[in-house]
Amino acid sequence: MDILTNLLSLLFLPLGTSILIIALGKHRKKYAPIVAFMSAIGALSLSYILLKNLPESVHYSWEWLAFGDSKFYIGILLDNIGATMLAMVSIVALCIVTFSIGYMSDDAAKGRFFAGVAFFMFSMTGIILADNLIMIFLFWELVGFSSYLLIGHYFQKEEAKSASQKAFIVNRIGDFGFLIGIILTYWQFGTTNIELLSIQSGIDPSLMSTFIGFLLICGFIGKSAQFPLHVWLPDAMAGPTPVSALIHAATMVAAGIYLLIRIDFILTSQVLLFIAYSGTFVALFAGFCAFAQDDIKRILAYSTLSQLGYMAAIFGMGYSGIALFHLITHAFFKALLFLGAGAVIHACHHEQSIFKMGGLFKKMPITSITFIIGTLALCGVYGFSGFYSKDSILIAANDYNSTLFYFLVFGAFMTAGYMGRLIWIVFFGKANSEAASSAHEVSAVMTVPLILLSGFAIFVGLNAYWPFGLGASIVSDLDHLHHLSGYKEIHKWVLILGSAAWIVGLGVSLIFYGKGSSEDRLQLKFPKVFAFLKGRLWVDELYQYYVNHIQKPVAEFLSFVDEVILRGIIVRGGAGLVGVLGVGFRLLQVGKINNYVLWFFVGLLLFWLYGIDLF
Amino acid sequence: MTIGINEFIIVSSLLFLIGFLGVILRRNTIIIFMSIELMLNAVNLALVAFSRYNNTMDGSIFVFFIMTVAAAEVAVGLAIIVMIYRQRQTILVNELNQLKG
Repeated sequence: MDILTNLLSLLFLPLGTSILIIALGKHRKKYAPIVAFMSAIGALSLSYILLKNLPESVHYSWEWLAFGDSKFYIGILLDNIGATMLAMVSIVALCIVTFSIGYMSDDAAKGRFFAGVAFFMFSMTGIILADNLIMIFLFWELVGFSSYLLIGHYFQKEEAKSASQKAFIVNRIGDFGFLIGIILTYWQFGTTNIELLSIQSGIDPSLMSTFIGFLLICGFIGKSAQFPLHVWLPDAMAGPTPVSALIHAATMVAAGIYLLIRIDFILTSQVLLFIAYSGTFVALFAGFCAFAQDDIKRILAYSTLSQLGYMAAIFGMGYSGIALFHLITHAFFKALLFLGAGAVIHACHHEQSIFKMGGLFKKMPITSITFIIGTLALCGVYGFSGFYSKDSILIAANDYNSTLFYFLVFGAFMTAGYMGRLIWIVFFGKANSEAASSAHEVSAVMTVPLILLSGFAIFVGLNAYWPFGLGASIVSDLDHLHHLSGYKEIHKWVLILGSAAWIVGLGVSLIFYGKGSSEDRLQLKFPKVFAFLKGRLWVDELYQYYVNHIQKPVAEFLSFVDEVILRGIIVRGGAGLVGVLGVGFRLLQVGKINNYVLWFFVGLLLFWLYGIDLF
Repeated sequence: MTIGINEFIIVSSLLFLIGFLGVILRRNTIIIFMSIELMLNAVNLALVAFSRYNNTMDGSIFVFFIMTVAAAEVAVGLAIIVMIYRQRQTILVNELNQLKG
């Protein structure tokens, strides 16, 4: 199979799967899981063959539209960065689809779920393979759509319904800026092709514009849920847990970072500076918010936000390779954590509050151990995958700006704190509810993906052993770090601080929260602090106020203009005037030739009178 | 008494008026058609009279053109009337009132 066929079949296999599942009709429920599973295996094998045969990079381009002299192309670009993403997405997707077979076994709408997941895979593959910004934007919207579809899977629940709409609308705001940014890029550079952009911005750096850069990163801010458009991600947890794992932890939210890495050469230093600071802010802010949540998935969602903040921060510091590194390691351990949370929720009969769990370690040993592996990887414990990426982030941050460095170290401490809180309360101590005490280990179809992913969560950090030369940009960025002056001292210092962060974080949370507590001690002891954290800086309330008190009156005014002035007076009024005139003129049309002749002569008479200047 | 320009104009105006009244008062299409011809000829008479009065040939030449056009118009007009009769079995204008709004 040549590379182009391979690429195209990889792109369209999930789309075909999605259509096939819908076409199954009433057999959907029975066959959808197996079809989706086969498709995920097929996609993984196709990626494997592709990556094995892939030369350095491939680029295909076809003309799509031509308006006069402006031509638009569609094309496929797979370079080392894309290949790394592709490998991660294929593996994570297979694990998550397998897990879903177990998790969704009681669901009435399996067909819709698996068709949605397959469609999401199509869109995500499209983003990875796209060679120009317009095409990225198309698939960008498609992932947004499939995310909307899957968040709203339980559309009977009001919460899921509004969460899916919220995700869609908030993303729309970011995508609006992104679209304008793409148009301005086309205007400025005359192309949106990524390779050409890279060449042109290299030849003439004065073409780069901070304004366009800020517009382009609007897309990233929306999709990767960065401040201030982060509000949709925690609410998106209303969707099924495998969806949260696939879309809202491992792949789609990471697509924003992937976009940044793809276009990093047209972002000016001001834009990078902004990304670095806003990323650090999100890393800390989300960590604080996580302490006031009691829903296990929402805690993980804030953790995802915080880790995306880390990726953004390191990208802003100019190390796009390390951002990609953290993206990959995070995808594996966060998918693992979400699936673990899914297993816990499944075992506890859809109980999501951590204070109603407790003591699950003995009842669900495999889930608990894999979840703890994921947590250790997230906290950056030495030897786990998260350590390698977080360690290099901290080293780079130390080199870049010591303020950001200490903030990020504090963020690592927060991570360990809220994850420790989750672990101690959920898995240790005694059961705090009927559901938790009757919980038992989930079936093999769910534990096998957990075990696989925990293997990745441990070992994926060893990027030197990645096959097919994946992650070349990571290696070069790490090399750059290793050759910094005084690397050894910095590394030692970072190692001490990083380890201290997770040890203290886990320890303090154990002491403060205790094993298997049934209520939030922070809320009991420091209600004001808790209320502040629960408020999440009142961003949601601010938006609510904006919509209700600013946007709504404007909308009502515009509606008034539309209904009364435009539609009422101008359109209806105009039509009414013409209608009345018509009724009048119809009286003249008596249908008798004699009358018409008479009018004709009257007309002539008037002309004559006018001709002799009578009036 | 000599017949001057005034008498010609009076006769011409009378003929025109008769024709006009015929057009607006009669119901039979053929009569209306004849009335139109009468108006045309009233105009012809006036033109010839003015031509003679002014001692130029312009008016007379114009009359020839009018007579030619009128002949063609009669041919077309009568054909239309025949076709209307075939379609509707009537040529009374008060029954041909489909233009009524």
